[in-house]
Amino acid sequence: MQDLTFGGASGIIVLVAYAAVMLLIGYFAGRGQPNVRESVKSYYLAGGGLGFVALFFTLYATQYSGNTVIGYAPTAYRTGFPWLQSIMFMTFIIGAYLVFAPRLYAVAKRESFVTPADWIRHRFRSTAVTLLAVLLMLWGIGNYLLEQLVAIGQGISGLTGDTVPYQLGVILFVVVMLAYAWMGGMRAVALTDVMQGIALLVGVMVLLGGSLYLIGGSLGDATQYLIQNEPEKAQVPPLDVSVNWLSLVLMVGFGAAVYPHAIQRIYAAESERTLKRSLAGMAWMPPITTGLVFVVGIIGISLFPNLGESESEQLVGMIANEVAAINIFFYIMMILLFGGIVAAIVSTADSALLSFSSMISRDLYARHINPDASEARQVLVGKLWGIVAIAVLLVIAWNPPGTLYSIFVLKFELIVQVAPSFILGLYWKRLSSWPVFFGMLVGAMVAGGMTLFGIGTVYGVHGGVIGLALNLAICVVGSLVIPATKEEAARAERSAELSVR
Amino acid sequence: MHKRPKGDRPVKEPIRKPWIWVVMAIILLAAIPWYLPGGTVSPIILGMPYWAFISLVFSLSLCAYLSWLCLYEWDVVEEEEERARADAKREE
Repeated sequence: MQDLTFGGASGIIVLVAYAAVMLLIGYFAGRGQPNVRESVKSYYLAGGGLGFVALFFTLYATQYSGNTVIGYAPTAYRTGFPWLQSIMFMTFIIGAYLVFAPRLYAVAKRESFVTPADWIRHRFRSTAVTLLAVLLMLWGIGNYLLEQLVAIGQGISGLTGDTVPYQLGVILFVVVMLAYAWMGGMRAVALTDVMQGIALLVGVMVLLGGSLYLIGGSLGDATQYLIQNEPEKAQVPPLDVSVNWLSLVLMVGFGAAVYPHAIQRIYAAESERTLKRSLAGMAWMPPITTGLVFVVGIIGISLFPNLGESESEQLVGMIANEVAAINIFFYIMMILLFGGIVAAIVSTADSALLSFSSMISRDLYARHINPDASEARQVLVGKLWGIVAIAVLLVIAWNPPGTLYSIFVLKFELIVQVAPSFILGLYWKRLSSWPVFFGMLVGAMVAGGMTLFGIGTVYGVHGGVIGLALNLAICVVGSLVIPATKEEAARAERSAELSVR
Repeated sequence: MHKRPKGDRPVKEPIRKPWIWVVMAIILLAAIPWYLPGGTVSPIILGMPYWAFISLVFSLSLCAYLSWLCLYEWDVVEEEEERARADAKREE
């Protein structure tokens, strides 16, 4: 990834400081809730009592990761102004939440849900549907976690000028992450997210300030440069780019909102009022996060013209090197930015890991392996399987299995297939379990198959969206052909009643 | 229609109001430059191509609209919860 000329000893100091703060937060979060080892709800959902600040930042840190800076600036560099779409697709996540979160929140509070599959079990009473959903979510979130682990290693080796080897960096930070999550569960994850989210936000703002300083302070100049040298990046894009834009908005919006850890944040809110306020605030975060990163990428075009695809991936590092050379203030700020990027990746990884553990311990272990297990034992099993999962993922990350590697890219395509069971299931009492099962299966196979065979989009529409459309069609047509029985429909209606008691 | 078990405020759930989604679709479609002539750049507004400015204005409208919806068009169990909370406080 980045070759940072300013990295090295100071980078190590910042990383150690960040790690120490995370551990301290975890320690105090654990002390603040004595039953965190004995109660599933306490460990995985902070007892369903996250307040506004913690909920807001944990939503923020979960939706925005290191890739939001490291990956999106180069995309803006290569795409030009059409990458404005990154503001829109991050905003639309809130629109997708509005489709189902109001009702899901009420039901989850009443029924004390812990994992996303709890809703599916409660609504469909079908082991096949629930297990398939759990497997899709585990597979998807496992790969998502793998991506974050690789990024942590790259971030750390970049920031420390390779003085800390990639493998060692990952292991050290994973140990820190596991330690604070073990001590304080979801509350520790959410409180460290506050620190990590602020670090990312401040870093992005300083990166933008430094980039503007480098080009003499005017975005207009960057635009003029673009129009003269690479006009296609400034012109109204062709129609297929627009179709792709809309497809991405829908896919990211619904996908990010139904990620298991995103759903568990609905469960963890202390009240509807808190959840509403946090989401209302989140709606304003894309312009000041992906929006600013977009501007950095556009400025990058005039700072470092004509980079190839792989060179452009280094863009944030290149800009940071130039900015750090301005003066000591910017130097310190760039160190903090990259520390913040690492922290942001960790904050996304910890949410994914906690969600992964909760599904293993609740949906597989307590449900199918040892139904008599105490809650304390369930928490312990979740923790231990979390370690096993991380170990397996690290082995994969360091020894990528050649030809099979593409099955480890399937994340989003699989997870988004559970969306109909949540969204249609909440509002349409006629939706019955078998169509949901086959819809999920076919949708996952089509979307996954397209990804495996390298067919990214058809006429600008993403494979995930095509799979989801098929999935929806099977759910709807299947439920119309073989409707739910009267009892099933009545039960479905009861299962989604709007009351918390 | 679901009614509140007890309470005087009507339940507000965004999914039940079609106009909410129609407005959202209009904003989404207006923010994507599919309806503008391909390959055009000028005029430049605030340092960006005119279409990017239009797109940005609608993107920000989407932020404002969604934020407003969360606060004012979503009221399902808040009253019930806040009352329970007030009762719990009184008992203390």
